[in-house]
Amino acid sequence: MPAVRADKLYKIFGRRPGKAVDLLADGRHRDEIKHLNVTAAVIDVSFEVQPGEIFVVMGLSGSGKSTLIRMLNGLLPPTAGTVEVDGTDITALPKAGLRKLRSEKISMVFQHFALFPHRTVLDNAAYGLEVRGVAKDERHAKAREALALVGLEGWEAKVPGQLSGGMQQRVGLARALAADTDIILMDEAFSALDPLIRRDMQSQLLELQARLGKTIIFITHDLNEAMRLGDRICVLRDGRVAQIGTAEEILNDPANDYVAQFVEDVDRTRVLTASSVMEAPIPVIDPDKGPRAALRTMRDNQTVSAFVVRRNRQLVGAVREDVIGAAVRDNVKELDSLIDTDLARVHPDTPVADLFGQAAESPYPLAVVDDADRFVGVIPRVTLLAALAPTTGSDTGADSGTGAEPAADGGTAPAGAPPAAPPPDGPPAPEAAADTATDTAAEGSR
Amino acid sequence: MSATTLTVTVPRVPVGDTFDAAINWLRANFEPVFDFVGMVIDLCVETLFHLFAMTSATQFTLIAAAVVGGALLVRRHRVPTLVAVAVWAGFYVAELAGGLVATAISSLPAPLFLWAMNLFGSSYVYPPLVLALLLLAALVAIAFAVGRDRRLWIIAAVSPVVLLAVLALHFIAGVQLSLLVAPLLVLLALFVAGWRVALFSALGFLLIISMEKWDNAMSSLALILVATVVAVAVSLPIGILAAQNDRVSAVVKPVLDFMQTLPAFVYLLPAIAFFSIGTVPGVIATVIFAMPPGVRLTELGIRQVDKELVEAGEAFGAPDSQILRRIQLPLALATIMAGVNQIIMLSLSMVVIAGMVGAGGLGNDVYTGIAQGNVPVGFEGGIAVVVLAIFLDRLTGAVTRFSPAARAQRAAA
Ligand SMILES: Nc1ncnc2c1ncn2[C@@H]1O[C@H](COP(=O)(O)OP(=O)(O)OP(=O)(O)O)[C@@H](O)[C@H]1O
Ligand SMILES: [Mg+2]
Repeated sequence: MPAVRADKLYKIFGRRPGKAVDLLADGRHRDEIKHLNVTAAVIDVSFEVQPGEIFVVMGLSGSGKSTLIRMLNGLLPPTAGTVEVDGTDITALPKAGLRKLRSEKISMVFQHFALFPHRTVLDNAAYGLEVRGVAKDERHAKAREALALVGLEGWEAKVPGQLSGGMQQRVGLARALAADTDIILMDEAFSALDPLIRRDMQSQLLELQARLGKTIIFITHDLNEAMRLGDRICVLRDGRVAQIGTAEEILNDPANDYVAQFVEDVDRTRVLTASSVMEAPIPVIDPDKGPRAALRTMRDNQTVSAFVVRRNRQLVGAVREDVIGAAVRDNVKELDSLIDTDLARVHPDTPVADLFGQAAESPYPLAVVDDADRFVGVIPRVTLLAALAPTTGSDTGADSGTGAEPAADGGTAPAGAPPAAPPPDGPPAPEAAADTATDTAAEGSR
Repeated sequence: MSATTLTVTVPRVPVGDTFDAAINWLRANFEPVFDFVGMVIDLCVETLFHLFAMTSATQFTLIAAAVVGGALLVRRHRVPTLVAVAVWAGFYVAELAGGLVATAISSLPAPLFLWAMNLFGSSYVYPPLVLALLLLAALVAIAFAVGRDRRLWIIAAVSPVVLLAVLALHFIAGVQLSLLVAPLLVLLALFVAGWRVALFSALGFLLIISMEKWDNAMSSLALILVATVVAVAVSLPIGILAAQNDRVSAVVKPVLDFMQTLPAFVYLLPAIAFFSIGTVPGVIATVIFAMPPGVRLTELGIRQVDKELVEAGEAFGAPDSQILRRIQLPLALATIMAGVNQIIMLSLSMVVIAGMVGAGGLGNDVYTGIAQGNVPVGFEGGIAVVVLAIFLDRLTGAVTRFSPAARAQRAAA
């Protein structure tokens, strides 16, 4: 059962929302229904968030993020559609039920903090527990814990007005954490923090989530943050979902030009990890074989080096063609003495940004080794550089997901070969082909 | 030249007569209700007036007990304090109903009380006074037993001393009451609003006493306080409702405009019709005239509370009543207190009109001054009203400083 499920959610501000929903459901853009004098903030949004997942909602200002998150805990009633929390349809819940659900299951961090100016930082942090009726000593202890977690020890007795914006935001965070609910909604919870604290809080959130298994719905307009935190990311555009997917899916396979442009200047090296750029380790050499067989394998695969791996995928080391070649000439029978065991090994989750240093120092491709010490892939230097180049932009590769990629090579594409690009009469001139490709791409993205 | 005048006859709408008829109908059908309301108001004003201008030893003792009890409550020693007060109230009711305490006292050996009776020159032991003294003793004992901070101890120690001094000065030395009550009010101003206001009050009250207007001033004060309490009690809930419901707000607004702009003299007439001449119509007219800003500012204050804060309350599952009590009201308190302050000021401005219908007090002085062309009397009455007004204004203004929101603001500044 998903922790949170949104099904065809609409939120229309203004007088006649019903009519607007009908028109929008037909696929009209929200600017096309301006004459109805309504603001369509959220249009036809559906998604499921699994327990223990960090689900990031991303979009530009005004794309409906805050409106969406407010519907998830019933602060705003949806115009159409349903929201389910742990299987309960909250749009049908009576007021008392909704209150209970909020105090026990969902807490929220507000974009503009929404701290109570007349209460101390401690009492602010303890608010969720106070509403639930927890005794004073207990709730204060929990609030102190939460405040310590966000780095605000010693500020308990102050009032919010005495804190900086970033500190206030952390109080808001502590208030949600202290409430100790399974689901936390965070509306741009880190936007007021300076870069250092921000990275720190992101790490803490990830750690917290790993430790306690909270379900977190996180709103941000910072793509790097989204990529770092999100198990999955939902990109909103003008109230509609542009794409939902993992960070890598969105980076490597953007659903349309909008998403592609959006992710254009993301720091890919921080998002992509070793596992996402690594290649299959070919060839590998069995340590039990002799140097002659090793040389043969390498020559067959036209490489100058190869990894030595046991049957159970334990990495032993690597060998170089020139060394082996000399050994074969000297008639050495054993491979053991020729293996270079001092290798750079990296974990699959290491961000690409952290690989460059090691790659520069090592004569071999980087070996990717997982937690169980198994050899899962290699990262040649070329691959590392290729990972930096975005697959996005105005060139045609962007829409690989929607079937327009066959024309990617422009004039060299054999006419008639790809089903998605109908061939013009005769072999196309390079420009013409490119034009067709662009058109197809544009169509594909609609 | 003959010009025929073209007169269009507009039918006469009997507004006044209808109003009159409505009043008569109400009087005929709801007389007991009005009588009861009138009686309660009258009783309250009387009691307050006695408290201010004819303070008895029992009342002085109860005031001292209230000071100590209040200090205890502020420091959250609720249980023992309330127990003591409840026991006292129980005995008091028993005494009123069956003279139980009197019986108990007369069964005790007489020498226990003789010295006190001699001291105050009374011929018998007055049971309520005994009860009040016992209550005070109990509260002081509680303060020393459970209290931990010095200020509480000082209050608990000083109150009985001041009480004894006041009682001794009045009942033994024979100093007139006004010279004893005025310093108490000054003391109140000192604690609540600071020494400047206290100094002003001291001088102002001395002026009133020297003009021989003290009793009338206290009578007006009693009337104003009762009117204010009624007006606040009525306007606060209406203001809250109006803030939470646009429709209520839309209905209330024109009614308030009507109440505020209708010349005050006009509703003196029905007030007299319902309650006859005296204090009560004065209070009623004052309440009607003074209430609107209370409603308006309550509504405004609550509506001004940041919507996201209310949402935050909702997001954590707080019920509406709790959001109102713990978020909206505390944050609106400064504005609401401004409304209360306005109510008091407007009540003061109604004093003269109330005087016209026989409510007595300073209004009576001013009215007599006007009616007889007696400038000195009228002017002196007016000055006394001004002194009272400034005293009450500063006092209510200062009370706002004690609200949690104001405290937080000061801390943040
Ligand atoms: N209460 C409201 N009444 C009318 N329109 C509203 C209301 N709340 C939001 N909107 C409109 O809905 C749209 C989406 O607003 P929303 O606050 O959800 O954006 P957002 O994605 O959170 O933006 P930001 O990043 O700036 O916070 C906006 O066009 C806004 O004008
Ligand atoms: Mg927002």
